[in-house]
Parts: sequence; C-alpha cells; structure tokens
Amino acid sequence: MPKSSSLRRWAGAAIAGATLMAGAVQAQAKPPECIAPAKPGGGYDLTCRLAANGLQDADLIDEPMMVSYMPGGIGAVAYNHVTGVRDDDPNLIVAASTGAALNLALAKFGQQHSADDVRWLGALGVDYGAVVVRADAPWQNLGELMAALEEEPSSVVIGAGGTVGSQDWMKAALMAKAADVDPRSLRYVAFEGGGEALAALLGEHIQVFTGDLAELKPQLDSGEVRILAALSEERMAGPYADIPTAKEQGFDVEWPIWRGYYMGPNVSDEAYQAWSDRLRELSETDSFATLREGRGLFPMARFGDDFDSYVKQQVEDFSQLAREVGLTQ
Amino acid sequence: MFDFLIDGFGVALTPLNLGLAFLGALLGTLFGALPGIGPINGIAILMPLAYTLGLPAESALILLAGIYTGSEYGGRMSSILLNVPGDAGAVMTTLDGHPLAKKGLAGPALGLSAVSSFIGATVAIIGLTLFAPLLAAVAVKFGPAEFFALMIFAFASMSAMMGKDPVKTLIGAVLGVLISTVGVDSGTGVLRFTFDMPELYDGIDFVVMIIGLFAVSEILLMLEHAFRHDAEGEMAPIGRVMVKLSEVLYCKWSILRSSVIGFVIGILPGTGASVASAVAYTTEKRLTDHDNSFGTGNMRGLAAPEAANNASAAGSFVPMLTLGIPGSGTTAILLGALMLYNINPGPMMFREQPVVVGGLIASLYIGNVVLLLLNLPLAGVFARVLQVPRWLLVPSVAILAFVGVYQLHSDLMAIYLMLVIGVFGYLLRKFGFSLAPVVLGFVLGGLMEENLRRALSISGGDVAILWQSALSVGLWIAAALVVLLPLAAGRLKAKLMEKAA
Amino acid sequence: MTLAADRILSLLLLGLAAFVAVQAWQLEVPFSYDPVGPKAFPLILSGLLAILAIVLFVRPGASGQWPTGALLLRLVFTMVLLGLYAALFVNLGFLITTALVSVVIAWLFGATPGKALLGGVLLAVGSYLLFTHALGISLPVGSWIEPLLGER
Repeated sequence: MPKSSSLRRWAGAAIAGATLMAGAVQAQAKPPECIAPAKPGGGYDLTCRLAANGLQDADLIDEPMMVSYMPGGIGAVAYNHVTGVRDDDPNLIVAASTGAALNLALAKFGQQHSADDVRWLGALGVDYGAVVVRADAPWQNLGELMAALEEEPSSVVIGAGGTVGSQDWMKAALMAKAADVDPRSLRYVAFEGGGEALAALLGEHIQVFTGDLAELKPQLDSGEVRILAALSEERMAGPYADIPTAKEQGFDVEWPIWRGYYMGPNVSDEAYQAWSDRLRELSETDSFATLREGRGLFPMARFGDDFDSYVKQQVEDFSQLAREVGLTQ
Repeated sequence: MFDFLIDGFGVALTPLNLGLAFLGALLGTLFGALPGIGPINGIAILMPLAYTLGLPAESALILLAGIYTGSEYGGRMSSILLNVPGDAGAVMTTLDGHPLAKKGLAGPALGLSAVSSFIGATVAIIGLTLFAPLLAAVAVKFGPAEFFALMIFAFASMSAMMGKDPVKTLIGAVLGVLISTVGVDSGTGVLRFTFDMPELYDGIDFVVMIIGLFAVSEILLMLEHAFRHDAEGEMAPIGRVMVKLSEVLYCKWSILRSSVIGFVIGILPGTGASVASAVAYTTEKRLTDHDNSFGTGNMRGLAAPEAANNASAAGSFVPMLTLGIPGSGTTAILLGALMLYNINPGPMMFREQPVVVGGLIASLYIGNVVLLLLNLPLAGVFARVLQVPRWLLVPSVAILAFVGVYQLHSDLMAIYLMLVIGVFGYLLRKFGFSLAPVVLGFVLGGLMEENLRRALSISGGDVAILWQSALSVGLWIAAALVVLLPLAAGRLKAKLMEKAA
Repeated sequence: MTLAADRILSLLLLGLAAFVAVQAWQLEVPFSYDPVGPKAFPLILSGLLAILAIVLFVRPGASGQWPTGALLLRLVFTMVLLGLYAALFVNLGFLITTALVSVVIAWLFGATPGKALLGGVLLAVGSYLLFTHALGISLPVGSWIEPLLGER
C-alpha cells in the first residue's frame, strides 16, 4: 500500500473523529445527574429513579436525568467524591437515606467527614421499620414478644439484613433496650440484605425479622407473615391500618427510613434552592403519588433548610443512641 | 392451571413484544459479550429507556428478561475467544472453551455452547413453569446451616480440579478465600484488610477481580508471546465453523445433568451462575473425564458450565416470582424494575398479575429460541474475532476492561485496583497457577464463612446445627462421597488391572 | 535458577501469611453474636497458607521462563501505560486517552506507525460510538472540554 494513500485515509479518519467528538460534546451538555452510591438494583438506585422518572413525568426537567452508580464504602466513596471532586456541580444530586445519617453518626464515612460537609436537599418519601414474625408464631402482639425477650433474651432468634451497627440492627437493639435487655445478649443473625433475611424467616431459620414495613406488603397480603408492630409515629393507612405502632403498645421505638438527596457543599444557593423547589413541586403532583406508592414509600415532604436541619439533628440523635446501645464509647 | 401461560403466549407473541424479545436478545448478547458489562449493567442501562418509551409492564419485563438471557449467551464469547470471561457465570467456560478455540475449533465451540445454553435454559424454564411454587417452598428450607454444607460440598467437588499440581491449586483457592475476606465483615461490621480505603469497604468487586485477573494478565501474556514469537500464543487457523450433531450427542448427558444442577442451584437465593457452573463442571469432570482431557479442550467440559449457567439464570426467577426474593443480583434489579410499575413480585403475583407472569415465562421460551437461531449462524462470524491482528485486538481488550470497570464504579480507584489485580494474576499464571481455583475460592469462601457464622449465631454457638436437617446431612454425605469415591474407584481399577495382568 | 522461582514464591507467601495473621490479630471487635467472629477465618487461612508455602518450598516445581531484559522493560512499560490511561481517563476524556493508548499498544505489538495511528484513532472513535450511542453508556468527555461548553 503506497504511503500517501494510508496517510490520506488517516487524515480522513481524524477529521471524522474530530467532528464526531464535537457532536458528542454538544449532545452531552450536562444533563442532570443522580448518583446512586451503590450497585444497580438496590434502594439507592430506586431512590435515584424515583427522582429521575418523577421529574421527567412531571416535566420539571428539560433533559432526562442520568443515573450513575458509585458503589463502595457503604456510600463513603460517593460522599468523598461529592465533598472533594464535584463539590460545586449544580446538576448533581446524590441519593441518601437514614442509613447514610447512621453511618455519619458512627463515623463510618471516616473521622474527617460529618453531616455538615454536604447540603442536604430533601426527602421524597419514607418507609418505617417493622417487627415481623411468621403467621404461625406464638406471639400475637409486641408485648408478648417483649415479655419473652425480657425473660430469656437468647430464646428468640432475631435476624435482619445488616451487620452490627446497621439500620436493621439498630431496630433490634432499640427493641432490646425498650425491653430492658442488653442488645449484646440478643441472638442476632446478620444476613446480606432484607431479602435473604425474609427467606430465612419464611424457612423457619429465624423467628423475628426487623425489616421495613412497605417491603413486606406481598407477604402480608398472602398471609405468610404477621407484623407485630410498625416503628412509625402513627398508624399507617390502607393495607397497614390494622398494624399497631410500637408506641401504642407501650414501647417507645421509632425507625423512619427516609429516602432523599444531598448536593455538594459548594453548590450555589440558587442551584440548591432551584432543586429544592423542583422536588417540592414534584412531591405535590398526583402522578408522583402513584409512583411513590409503587415504590412502597409513604409521603414525606421536607425540603431545603428544613430537611438540612432534620438530618443534622438525626445524626446527633444517632450518635447518642449508638452510645446508649453500647456501639461507641 | 396453565391458563396463565396460554394467556402469556398471547401477550408475548404480539408483534411489539416479539420485537422487544428479539431486541433484548440481541442487545443482551452484545452486553454479555463485552467483558465487565454483564446482565446487571445491561438492565440498569436499558431500564430508563423502557420507562421513557412508556412500555407497559409486561413489555418492559419481556425486554429486560431478553437482555438477561441474552447476556448469559453472550458471556461465553470472550471466554472462548479471548480467555477473558464476560461475566461471573462464564469463568468455567474458559477452561475448555479457550483451548478449543486454540485448536481452531472456535466456531464449533461457540455453536456447542449455544446449543448447551439453549437446552439448559429450556430445561430450567420448563422446571419454572411446572414446579415454581413447590420449589420455592423447598428453597427457603435452605438456611445458613444448609448453605454451609452446600459450600463444603462445592469445595469437595473442586478436588476433581486438583490436576497435576495439587499444592498450587490449594494455594490458589486459599488466596481466593483470603481476597473474599476484604471489606466490612458481614457479621460484626468490623473492617478487615481495608487499610483505611473506603473503596475496599464493600469488598473487592467480582467484576474488577475477574477483569483484572483475566483480561489485564492476558494482555501481558500476549505481549510476551508476541515478543518471543513463540507458538504458545498462536491460534490454529479457523477450521470448520458449524458444530456437528455428533458432537452435541456426545455431550447430551453432560448437558442434561448440568441443566438440572444449574436449575437447582439457581433456585437457591444467594447462589448464582458462578456456583452452578463450577459444580456442574467438576461433576462432569468426575463422571465423564476418563482420559483426563478436561481443561485441554474437551467438548463436555465446555457444554457442562454453559448449560448450567443458563439454567441457573432461569432458576433464579423462581424465588423472585414466587417469594418476591431475588435469587441473584440480576433478578434483584428486575425486581426493582417491576416495582417501578407498581407490581410487587411475591406469593400473590401468580394470582394478581397472571398476564405479567405468563408473559414473562412465555417470553423466556421465545427468547431462547430466538437466541439459538441468532447464535448458531453467527458463531462463524464471531469466530473471526480471532483473525483480528494482535495489534488491534489487545487495545480492544484494554478498552473493554477500562470501560467495563469505569461504568460500573464511576471511580478511578476501581481501575487502579483492577490493574494491581492484573499484575497479581499475571504473576500467578507465570508461576503455573490456574486462575479457576482462585475465582472459586473467592466466590465460595465468602459464602462459606458468612453462612457458618450465621448458623452459629442462630444456634448460639452449638455446632450441632450444621448437621441437624436432612438436607444438610445429605450434602455432607455427598461431599464425603465426591472425595472418597474416586479414591476407592482408583483402588478398584488398580486391583482389576492387576488381576487382568 | 531451575528451582528458585517456586522457592521465592513460597517465601513471599509465608510473608503474606504472617502479614494476614498480624492484621487479623489486631482487629478490634466491639462484640460478636457468633462464636467464630471476624478473626478466625483469616487466621485459619493464614495458617493453611503457611503450611502450603512450606510444602511448596520443600517440593518446588519447574520454574518456567521469566521475562528479562527488553521484554521485562516492555511489560513494565505496558503497566505504566495502563496506569497513565487510568490517571488521565477522566481529565483528558475517553477519546483522546483511548486513541493515545491504543496507538502505543498497537505499536508495541508490532504494527507499523501508520497502521498503529490509523487503528488507534479508529478504535477510539468506533468504541466511543458503540458505547455511547448504541449501548447508552456514558463515558468521560474530559474536564478540559467542559469550560468550552460555557457552563459551570
């Protein structure tokens, strides 16, 4: 092959490449983005998609929102990324939940990080903890279970989808505390996610599962499980109307699991305000209510500074709780 | 009682849904063929598209299920052609698939694996249709103690892979298990071997691990072969392209046995295609490998893991559809997709959403036929990847490795980690280690530790729980048999030989 | 150096086993619900590894052929190149880094400079189109380009 022809071809390719590159760059003029600090398929993924699909359906964003994944360090990798690298990106929100607040309280994101490092944007929904047993379990209400725990803490096998120090464990530990039992004397089994724990409950390997309320709807409908208590402030409506709260049974345990978002610390006030208004507007549309219910979430509407102070207060409460249940000094 | 399935075929055979099944199969094959971009990412990437297009629930599910099954087909391609597994279930496929390609039989290898995949998936889908609710009830009987016994059985099966260098096989497995201990301890939340790097808290990601071990080390080895101009790196010229019927028939029992093994293991929540293909491969090696040719390009050694990983993919739909519990990472994300459509998979789904369930199962049948028809004639085309000159092929492998890891993690640390693991993999291969025991140790070791500790937390420390159920006793006996029987058989054979002489 | 490689390996493995044991021993466990705890597995594994390493030291296998001189240099160069690829991937963007790395690798594998240039650029552009347009995967554009867009 003569050299000139291969050179000419190369030049042609280079021009083609340059044009394509310019085109691609224009096409990517910064669509809004939501980072799910986990692998695809988990709760954070769904939290991002809730915003992405909701905002798109309600025409609150011009371009579809991109969902990207940044697993690692139970969310710490994304937290580092947003506080360090993309700290002022006005088009970036990151999915978060009660779990992130708990991890911050336990310094699991590293000692150098606190809840003050990001701007908490708002929450679009909430689920509540639930105390679940099989339909054929001997305990008819929370009181009976607690009595059994009080008498002999190791007589009841409790399982859930998280390690010591996780949300699921905190629910169990708070229950133990309400029954005047040292959380360390429980029999607690940590599974990899709520699904495996639920399977273990159905297969009679564990007796009590400290899960999430809305997650359990299919099994509740089919009558396989009995929910002894919802860890919410008040009774929930609809299919959950018959489930008493722990509080009304005399045990002061609450565990809301909010699903929300944060932004980088140096995002401008305008951008922060615009996003918080956008989410507030979204939460008020009818189409979003359907979407939220489908995702198994109850309404929660806290945005902007209101949400920011809510999360920071929660982190402080959790630090206090962690000391009380013996997790930290 | 099969009304839902007849209705389902009615749904799946509409032109739109048929087209989506085809599109899903095609895209899935492509996603699976690219190392690192497996079914989970394929579905995550296309889920917003399905939603944006406003597809109804059953259509979206058909598209996504097509991607899932398609990528299980596609995952084998890079295993066979490049010795780089496309996803977790395709690791065992490299063992005999790549040697076949080296012999110039890439075409028949791809064809045979397509047929095995088809049979595996079909057996599993029939199982799913007939016994789903029944099987779900058995699957939950698998508690931590039974899983621990299953892992013991799986490790015992691995003894078949000891080969000529048992010490290095064992060292490889131990290293694999050690790597699985990195990260937050699932029982106590303690950080192990993370060295204050948050990127390591969640443990070493499987994709980063196999891409590093296989793809990066392969690049270095290819460079070595090219530099030395030695024959080891050379491929025999591509011979015939189509698989022969006699070759399929030669493997028929291996395929059927592996299909059943894959399906059963796929049903259990928490174990997936990687465990299924490993158990199928080692079982077949033990049963049929009389001349010790597994690992050198034995057709059965290729057919077994391929049938098993596709069967397990279909099997993992059982707990998802009947219990609402995902059996694998991929079904977890399908579950999420359903929830976006206000459908809660679970015990009531067969009754409340028969159209969705029927349409999904019907689309699995159709998708598999589509995939077989797509893959058989294309085997010859894909085999030509081997004719791509090295200087183009190697940068392509590098690009795929980088893009695969980057789009999964959006984080550079993961890429650096992949490179470090790549050097580690290269050194292991230079020292004469096989990578399969490392990967199996990694997959099985983590499950073994977690389940042992869960079982003991349930019993409060009493080890008797490990052999209290009939299921676990059965698995312990099976584990003992797979280790002892070959020894006994060997003795017997020697005695007979003596007598004959 | 017929027997040396495996012996060196066994010493490295012994070192690794010791490291693992020390690290595992130092884990601080607030409390554990199972009697095994997070320490036992790594400790058992390090013991196993140590025993196997000793067996390997006593009965080493053949050493195989190890890269030296120019080849070793090339292997190290390739790893450094891939490391640079990773380091520049986000800031310079996918297209430029991929083109550069592909050209160099192609050249390393014996392509003529012309072929390497053409192949590298085509690979970069082709894979970019495949990933972003056909498969919907987003790739880094390059932070140097972003100011040109006039945003941020």
